[in-house]
Amino acid sequence: MEKTHPLIEVRHLSKSYFNDGIETPVLHDIDLVIRKGEFIAIMGPSGSGKSTLMHILGFLDVHTTGDYLFQGERTIRMDDDALAKIRATRVSFVFQAFNLLPRTTVLQNVMLPLLYHPTIPVAERIERSLQAIASVDLLDRKDFLSSQLSGGQKQRVAIARALVTDPDVIFADEPTGNLDSASGIAVMNALQKLHASGHTIILVTHDRTTAEHADRIILVRDGHIEGDTHSEHART
Amino acid sequence: MDTSKEIRTVNMLARDTFSTALGGVIANTSRSLLTMLGIIIGVASVVLMSSVGASMKLVILSQVSSLGSKSMVVFPGTQEGGPAAVQTGHDSLTFEDLAALEKLSTIQDAAPVIFLTGQTSYGREEATPQVFGIVPQFFLNQNIAIQDGRLIDDNDNQGARAVAVLAPDAVQKFFGNTDPLGERIKIGDNHFTVIGTTKALGSQFFQNADDRIYVPFSVARTITGQKYLNYITLKAVDDFDRSFDDIKFLLRTRHGINNPTDDEKKDDFVVHSSAQANQILGSVSLGLSLFITTIAAISLIVGGIGIMNIMLVTVTERTREIGLRKAVGARSRDILFQFLLEAVMLTGLGGMIGMVLGIGAAGILSLLVRYFLATYTFAISIPSVVVAILMAAFTGLIFGISPARKASLLHPIEALRYE
Repeated sequence: MEKTHPLIEVRHLSKSYFNDGIETPVLHDIDLVIRKGEFIAIMGPSGSGKSTLMHILGFLDVHTTGDYLFQGERTIRMDDDALAKIRATRVSFVFQAFNLLPRTTVLQNVMLPLLYHPTIPVAERIERSLQAIASVDLLDRKDFLSSQLSGGQKQRVAIARALVTDPDVIFADEPTGNLDSASGIAVMNALQKLHASGHTIILVTHDRTTAEHADRIILVRDGHIEGDTHSEHART
Repeated sequence: MDTSKEIRTVNMLARDTFSTALGGVIANTSRSLLTMLGIIIGVASVVLMSSVGASMKLVILSQVSSLGSKSMVVFPGTQEGGPAAVQTGHDSLTFEDLAALEKLSTIQDAAPVIFLTGQTSYGREEATPQVFGIVPQFFLNQNIAIQDGRLIDDNDNQGARAVAVLAPDAVQKFFGNTDPLGERIKIGDNHFTVIGTTKALGSQFFQNADDRIYVPFSVARTITGQKYLNYITLKAVDDFDRSFDDIKFLLRTRHGINNPTDDEKKDDFVVHSSAQANQILGSVSLGLSLFITTIAAISLIVGGIGIMNIMLVTVTERTREIGLRKAVGARSRDILFQFLLEAVMLTGLGGMIGMVLGIGAAGILSLLVRYFLATYTFAISIPSVVVAILMAAFTGLIFGISPARKASLLHPIEALRYE
């Protein structure tokens, strides 16, 4: 029988930054397993290393020591092309600062990741982008410029952009950090909807209420995992 | 992946990169235009200068082409100010020189010319066209063709007949639209019967060759009593350079000129030819080409530095965008090509705008110059235009590499964190 690998498996992972020969350790001896379909919140105070962990798991940064296996494959020796291919097809991001392209429409922003999928014809790119925009209830704004949207709408566009490539896992870095509470709830509802449709979500937040939307909460403090528990929401 | 799918993928990737780069250029139109300004001015100058060069070449060619490829002219006088500054009015070319030249095996059809001076009139019309005393070979040497009537022949010369052949401007001056054949005109104190008219010749060495009257050489010689010739036209038999050397050697020997260094300024005669004019034209063209190339190189380097500067600013401004593109799957080389293509688009587009402006300026200039130089025509050197645009695009490639490489090497997370 074929062995099924976890989506993400991290063993003794450490990360240090080096500046002028001075080492600044950020993550220490992290062990973590995330399975497909989970909704996980990585929670911790500012400077705890939670964002760095997410960046490493999302292939935006590389670890210093230890092992990171993505679907059973070691990632430490992957070159730029291989990492770019994973970022294009397997993972996607929702950032706190939205990171939408200025002077471009909602549709163009959502289509951006598909630009790096040259085998997908333009007509299909548009269709998939429109579906993604519809899933965050912004179809009526598809031709709006990103600057014409509210913060909550911008973040929903970012979510649509994240799911347009149908990735294995979506990383959300403080997605409600720049939003008012009503917009924050709308964004979290959108993420929960994605999770319900089978996507793996890894959310980074310092806010307990936001973290409670996830099924599992991993508490990071001073570069260590201090807790790995099911949320109230999952227990109920 | 099969071949057709691979080709489709590459095509789509190229199109996507092109549209992304185009988006970058269009996103900031005014800055893009200002960035292109150096290239626009550079290419416009090159196109304008090469057009002026091509037009001038046509003008000069039109002056010498009517002579025919093997025709030569020997003038009396010195050449103190270089080939273009012949000091005429000398009496150094004699009938004996002509007789000696006729014996040379390397030349043929030697045709002497004596000028007749004085007022020319017909009825109440008076003017002073150039009056040439010539032999029939002169018409052959100068490619002069008959329009009406007949040309001066050997019988006219041998019989010293008082006949004249008129070039078109002279016909127009004296006779307007009426038939001049058989009419009698007065040159100085002598009367001549018009026996023919010639076709238009245009200008030769920047002199109007159509405001002339031709009379038999023997008649002109008798009237003037001149012991010397105003000039001699002749043709090389075969090897042009050999004929040229033979003429110079013969005349130097006859005139007692010791000129071992072949310094033409020491001679008391000047030999002109269409081939020589073409050689001078070639040198002028080469000089002009070098001049244009220098202008092009300087403008493109200046424009290129401008492009590089702006592209570096653009990369810094768009650091977060680069981080985002990498986060959604762009490879380093996708970013490299995008920014490189933006630089090439800026310079290529600048080149094309420069070309249009350069051609427009050359057109306007040709209209203005035509007031002073009627034979000036609008001409464009297509190779120069093509090379200028290609060089402009190439400048973008060269000067765009550094900013594009800087963009491609950005680390995604550092780029996303950039404030």
